[in-house]
Amino acid sequence: MDSFDGLAGNWDGHVVLIHHSEWQRRRDVAAWVRSGLDLGAKVIYTERAHVADRSLRSLLTDEQVDAFGAISRGQLRVLAASDETYTAAWQVSMVEDALAEGYPEVWWSGEAETAWSIMTPAAHADVEWETDRLCESRPVSILCQYPAKLPPATLDAVCAMHGGGVRESLLRTSPCAEGMVLAGEADASNEQVTRSALRAATSAFVRDRFVLDLRALRFLDVAGVRSLLAGTAAYRSSGGVVCLRNARSSVDRVLRLLGVDRAVGVTVEER
Amino acid sequence: MTSDVGHIRSGSYSHDLLLHDHDGDMVEGIRAFVEQGLASGGHVIVHSTESRVAMLRQALGSHPRLEYGLDSDLYLSPSSTLFAYQRKMAESAEPLELWATGTVPLGDDDESHAAWARYESLVNEVLGAYAFHGLCTYDTSALPARVIAAAKATHPCVSTGAHRATSPDYQHPADFLGNPLARVPEPPQAPPAVTLVLQDLHDLRGVRHRVAETACSGALPRSAVEDFVTATNEALVNGLVHGRAPVDLTLWVEPSKLTCRITDAGDGIPNTLSGYRYPNASGPRGLWAARQLCDDLFVSNLPDGGCSVLLATG
Repeated sequence: MDSFDGLAGNWDGHVVLIHHSEWQRRRDVAAWVRSGLDLGAKVIYTERAHVADRSLRSLLTDEQVDAFGAISRGQLRVLAASDETYTAAWQVSMVEDALAEGYPEVWWSGEAETAWSIMTPAAHADVEWETDRLCESRPVSILCQYPAKLPPATLDAVCAMHGGGVRESLLRTSPCAEGMVLAGEADASNEQVTRSALRAATSAFVRDRFVLDLRALRFLDVAGVRSLLAGTAAYRSSGGVVCLRNARSSVDRVLRLLGVDRAVGVTVEER
Repeated sequence: MTSDVGHIRSGSYSHDLLLHDHDGDMVEGIRAFVEQGLASGGHVIVHSTESRVAMLRQALGSHPRLEYGLDSDLYLSPSSTLFAYQRKMAESAEPLELWATGTVPLGDDDESHAAWARYESLVNEVLGAYAFHGLCTYDTSALPARVIAAAKATHPCVSTGAHRATSPDYQHPADFLGNPLARVPEPPQAPPAVTLVLQDLHDLRGVRHRVAETACSGALPRSAVEDFVTATNEALVNGLVHGRAPVDLTLWVEPSKLTCRITDAGDGIPNTLSGYRYPNASGPRGLWAARQLCDDLFVSNLPDGGCSVLLATG
């Protein structure tokens, strides 16, 4: 079973899916399509033309999602990537058309590697920032798929441009009014992702108190603690305070054992 | 061969053994130690059983920097006592000089005697970097010869209060753990509940869940099982990151005891006492945390390469 039972439902906003393996990517994309279809959203998927092993149709068939029914009734649309599919004007028109057809919202996904086959990563980053604004201005949720093996600075930037948060095989982050929710399991396997997600969230945060809600964090190890401190170090050294809230008892014991409650710029709220 | 070593040096570490066969010798030895501790400006803790504390309080009187304590409050378990002392020393805001004297509780069976003997030995590793002074009193008229032999092997110096000399039988903690007196636990004879193999860090999550599911069938409290799972996770990370895959895990579940053995295929670990010293700000702390999240954790090198970590709780 997925470790996000009960958590996976939230794909709102401009979200980045960080995948460590093709197996994980296929499983999560299938879950995303299924949720979008169930919700009655228009689901749009951009993929490289003629790359059979990355085709959404075969992925959905393998994962037993009924793609053909959804395609024939027009709810699911698979697009071949081209220069045009990455322009803001064209994306807006696609969204407007879908809303005009009566869909309450639009879900869109594609792999970063698809974009990189058409444009440079730098040009694609500009598109991503545009996309982030599109998600804020219209009922649109976009899932961008990135491989986990990225240089740390790139991973930081990718997390920063996805305001809806990060989905990883064990971990999920989402923004909340006072800061961020960190859910799932933070361990040695996702140390870089946790650090980048926190760095992105705290660097964009203007207030001097950042709440990290841990109620849905089920496991934290020494590497997770390291990423938690490193990811918030710049924010704390410029005077910000990170407030760790709602940690379950096993997580709370690890935080205190490793002295997080005594670190500069951190408060661990009493349970 | 013993050699006189003079007075305890203030600011350094010492861990002395005081052997006595009647209370008068014990009181005089403790008196000399307490006086020196107070004269150094340090904090002095005298702990023992209730009746001995009453006797010592009468003999030594009171002082703002002299504290009396009961063994039952101080000694929760060997590992938590060790690290509680270490935290007190390492995390003190001001320089702290601590003088602690009394009897170690020892327990009432061979297994518990050996656990406290390992504690006495590991004090030298865990607290060796601090201005910590221990004077441990052992009653030769009441304790088994085996316990006295272990005490001689775990205290660098023997003292009468007036005189101190090096202990000729003293062994470095890494060597003492190989001494039969230390009785380092072995995995149970019974067949294991689970065996698993990890290839990389992405296998951790599934293994943690298997260990947690299997371990909670016993009678241990939930918090002990959770901490055991975290300790196991750290030992696995250690094997995958500092050793080499595949990393094998074997778990035994007894009604109120969990035992886990983790072996990797690396070149072995340079220091089997890793994780006893207080970690540096930027240094690794996985084994240090793991040692505090279970009751016992032993690291050894396998004869044909690789490292083995044995963890136990309960």
